[in-house]
Amino acid sequence: MSSNDDWVLEVRDLMVFYENALAVNNISLKCRTGQITGIFGANSAGKSTLMHTISGVMLDIKKKEAMTGGERITLFGAINFNEEDIQNLQPHKRARKGIVLCPERRQLFTESSALENLKIGGYLADKAQAKKTLAYIFQLFPELQKLKNREAGFLSGGEQQMIAIGRALMAQPKMLLLDEPLLGLAPSIETRLAKAINEIKQQTGITILLGEQYARPVLPIIDYGYVLENGSIVMEGTAEDLMNNPDVLSAYFGM
Amino acid sequence: MQERRRERLDRGVKVRSDTIYAVSSAKEILFLVGPGLALVTVLLILPLILPPYWQKVLTIAGVYALLAVSFGFLANFVGLVNLGGAMFVGVGGYISGVLNSTLGLPPLLTIPIASVTGALLCTLLLLPCLPLRGVYFAVVSFIYPLATVMIISATGVWGGTDGIAGLNVLPNVWVNQYVIILVVLACMFALTRLVNHADIGLVFRGVKDNELAIRASALNVTWYKAQAVFISAAMGCFGGAYLTHLYGWVGMSLFAMDFSILPLAATVVGGTSTIYGPLVGAFLLVPISESLRSFGTLRIVFYSVVMVFCVVFWTEGIMNYLRRRYEQFERWVRV
Repeated sequence: MSSNDDWVLEVRDLMVFYENALAVNNISLKCRTGQITGIFGANSAGKSTLMHTISGVMLDIKKKEAMTGGERITLFGAINFNEEDIQNLQPHKRARKGIVLCPERRQLFTESSALENLKIGGYLADKAQAKKTLAYIFQLFPELQKLKNREAGFLSGGEQQMIAIGRALMAQPKMLLLDEPLLGLAPSIETRLAKAINEIKQQTGITILLGEQYARPVLPIIDYGYVLENGSIVMEGTAEDLMNNPDVLSAYFGM
Repeated sequence: MQERRRERLDRGVKVRSDTIYAVSSAKEILFLVGPGLALVTVLLILPLILPPYWQKVLTIAGVYALLAVSFGFLANFVGLVNLGGAMFVGVGGYISGVLNSTLGLPPLLTIPIASVTGALLCTLLLLPCLPLRGVYFAVVSFIYPLATVMIISATGVWGGTDGIAGLNVLPNVWVNQYVIILVVLACMFALTRLVNHADIGLVFRGVKDNELAIRASALNVTWYKAQAVFISAAMGCFGGAYLTHLYGWVGMSLFAMDFSILPLAATVVGGTSTIYGPLVGAFLLVPISESLRSFGTLRIVFYSVVMVFCVVFWTEGIMNYLRRRYEQFERWVRV
């Protein structure tokens, strides 16, 4: 495994304002190479804003809001990916560099089949890579094999989430952003997916940033975690550090 | 940190006049009613000061404003994009024209009758596609005026391609202008009140946002859409009937594409989130288009460039921008 101090992504002093409301307050974090970094926080803590800002989608939202006369979004701080400042890079260019977002609530192409969804994700990959990744996804989630010609919108929440993760993998990420991958799933599926995410890390070496509200199912798989409250990091540490803090335990781990 | 960001805050007078304190001082009341008052005053004074040619332009602009308000209401507050505004104009125009030429009814009767019966007819025609969502309503509404023109020219009914001439005209140029201006203003205020303060307005906006949730609240979506189409169609039919008696002639040109497309353009330019946006858009676009008449066909190019600019770079439209400047101020703050 890679050494502990290598990092792929560094966020420094990031601030995001929605009009006058501070959504992300002076956040600095690092995602170490080949590790899973967890971000935990309640609704409105700023997880999704952080994910959108790192993936660059926030730039699009900002532009759209400015055009329609909506909220003015202001961004400060630096986002470095492999030692390169990407703060002002368009989202599609970030995706080419390997930062791929698996969005909250899956956002599948509901009228396309499962297989088509996966293939759409492979736009950035060449044929051989796509074929290899597709085979890997079916090995990771064997249940998708049977469902591959079904319309994605009619699949269960768990199956849809598998497709969403698979679609993100097809884009050949170096850095995978998972925004609430366990949202609205049954506990057994949660465990199943958490295991799969861990396998992705171990087998492919992709660095993963994972945002969740409820930390318990993913706690065993994260290497390092941050706890967000009202847009600020209130605590950070390894899984054991977080486990040993009684406040964190009761608030995010339900223990 | 030395970084600064531009902050947007509501003006004090706006914050105060949002609450009961609005009635505490004349200044606050003026802040609330000022813009509306200014619009009414300008529109009422314009006929008195304009030269005769521009008085005619104002009258036509009034008709387009009415159509634009009708289009904007359906599109922005009910979620139905009506690409066939000309259908309303044509139906209203032909009903009043036929009533006037066959039964000899005066404009004072034919215009209201045409507005109501025309609106009923249009609502019935559109009823089958009301349960559908998305592009279907737009397509069906777009086809109706085109099809009606073909029917009229093929069968030769109601004067066929020549139309019906020699109808009663409105008494004088002052009635011409003030009738349409007063009707436009009345519709604007009534609709603003409807969508902002009435229960049915709440349902309309709900239909636009989430039809499923409206159904789940045990409300019949189609019935509410039909009511909204009726309101919109009544305005369009009034415009058609009014045009008929303005020219003393009714013909197939009432189904022309202009009546469908210009309201759409006015809505885009004026801004989509208010009732008065399309109205202001129409009162700007029609005179601009007139004043560029000397450029011949080049004016269409200019016109299109303005349209494309608004759609691509300035989606919020004029009125949303002005409202923000009116209600809020901006300043730089240290982060």
